[in-house]
Amino acid sequence: MTAYLTRRLGQSLIVLLGVSIIVFASLYLTGDPAALMLPPSASRAEIDAFRHAMGFDDPLATQYLRYLGHALTGDFGTSLRFGSPVTGLIAERIPATVLLALVALGWSTLLGFAFGILAAVRRGGAIDFLVRLVALSGQAIPVFWLGLLLIIGFALRWHLLPSSGYGRPINLVLPAITLGAYYMSSVTRLVRISLIEAMQQDYVRTARAKGLGEGRIVLRHALRNALVPVLTVQALQLASLLGGALITETIFGWPGIGRLAVQAIQNRDFPLVQAIVLLAAAVFVVVNLLVDLAYAALNPRVRL
Amino acid sequence: MRLSARPLAARGLFANADLAVGAMALGAVILAASVGPLFWTADPISGSMLTMFQPATSAHPLGTDQIGRDLLARVLFGTRLSVVIVLLAGAVGAVLGTALGLVAGYFGGAVDSVIMRLVDIQLAVPFILLILLVMAVVGPGIFNLVVVLGVTGWAIYARTARARALELRDLEYIEAARAVGASVPRILRAHVLPNLLGPQLVLLTLDLPRLVVLEASVGFLGLGVQPPTPTLGNLIGDGRAYLLNADWLVIYPGLVIAALVVGFNLLGDWLARRAERRAG
Repeated sequence: MTAYLTRRLGQSLIVLLGVSIIVFASLYLTGDPAALMLPPSASRAEIDAFRHAMGFDDPLATQYLRYLGHALTGDFGTSLRFGSPVTGLIAERIPATVLLALVALGWSTLLGFAFGILAAVRRGGAIDFLVRLVALSGQAIPVFWLGLLLIIGFALRWHLLPSSGYGRPINLVLPAITLGAYYMSSVTRLVRISLIEAMQQDYVRTARAKGLGEGRIVLRHALRNALVPVLTVQALQLASLLGGALITETIFGWPGIGRLAVQAIQNRDFPLVQAIVLLAAAVFVVVNLLVDLAYAALNPRVRL
Repeated sequence: MRLSARPLAARGLFANADLAVGAMALGAVILAASVGPLFWTADPISGSMLTMFQPATSAHPLGTDQIGRDLLARVLFGTRLSVVIVLLAGAVGAVLGTALGLVAGYFGGAVDSVIMRLVDIQLAVPFILLILLVMAVVGPGIFNLVVVLGVTGWAIYARTARARALELRDLEYIEAARAVGASVPRILRAHVLPNLLGPQLVLLTLDLPRLVVLEASVGFLGLGVQPPTPTLGNLIGDGRAYLLNADWLVIYPGLVIAALVVGFNLLGDWLARRAERRAG
């Protein structure tokens, strides 16, 4: 267990270091980060002064180590746009994104499991077909299009729900539907297929043979085993959830990290963008680590 | 409630509808995008203030936009450009990933470790953010977009190529090739790669929906191909400002995206099942 944990932690660190290198290096794609960060109207002298002030004239390795050192102490530099520390700007926005993500994850997981189980149990029939159709549409509709359609319908035409705003539960409805739709579809598909596979295993036959009810077999025996693949893939899907948050928050004016990221990119506020990419990668890596550890709890065959 | 224990290959009444629906959606969109502009000759780039925000009429079957341009013409051209970008990006990812995967699997050792760690890193970065970051740095443009989108997809191809190369490298016919002095690039190209084309093509088809949505998202956020040149994403991004006056500007391009995604998904699923059945 300890050896496994150490190895996985090491891997996670390597991944994060790699991401930090990519994030750091991306500013040098055009050769000159100083010119990149200043408005096109900046004079040669201004660019030179800025380059020196930011330390862009030091050797690359020095710059990277300095960047990394600061990042490790929670200092991601100063926002070019807001003039205040990046860390504070991000911290302010975290609660809104976490709230939105949790609500979206919550409804989509519940509904996804319900649909998936229903389709697997009624496999090949009309319900299965309908569920697969819903799941496929949920995956086919791009997040931004779904969001705009919901705004057109529920906010502009029928005046039922607000298309923007923050603070009241009703403000959450459309963004949470938008963000969760894709996730719901993918949970549905995965639960369906893993459950169908699990239902063909020997232990299900054993359970039937000893006369257990079908409902109990599905929920207690097959589903428990079907959880492992679902969990793995869903953890990987988290990256796309973050991508979805970016767009959902932009469409609904939701004051979270995603909107901050898009604004930062549009403002060419690179220190802010770099920090958000690193943060997103860190969240992703940590979640995957936790999921790996959760395997042991769900599947006694996995020995760590 | 009785669960059947039918084998996976046996499918219900509706299962084969997949291919038909997928092929039809995809075929219609691609046909329209490729030959449509020959028949529908309205100008997609310039318009007239006299015709702005018109709902669908026979002169403008999908209506017009904020500066009076014909939406059908813009959607046709936008679809064409988006599909070309997505296919090229898919090819970039597939070629890059396959090459790296083959090298990793064939040589093993340190090369393998480094490449596979890169795969982990690639899979750990929320690529939409990275794409946006890189597009903001290098600037918008079709070439940049193809490369950046392409690079986001290489990891999955690398994994399968590596696995296959690992399996094959110690087989007798590969050893025989080595024994008669074939070079490594030749062995990989002539003896390992052909075994991979089928699986990689399935992966590519399954990866295309992701690229369609990604390309559209980047365009939507204004970092892809720049207006007035239309793409499916920037059409929706532009139309977003006029939801109250002209919601068709957002609805039609989105329908095309959905058709493409469904089409590629169903086609890919079908190809994957067929490959599975062949493999036994």
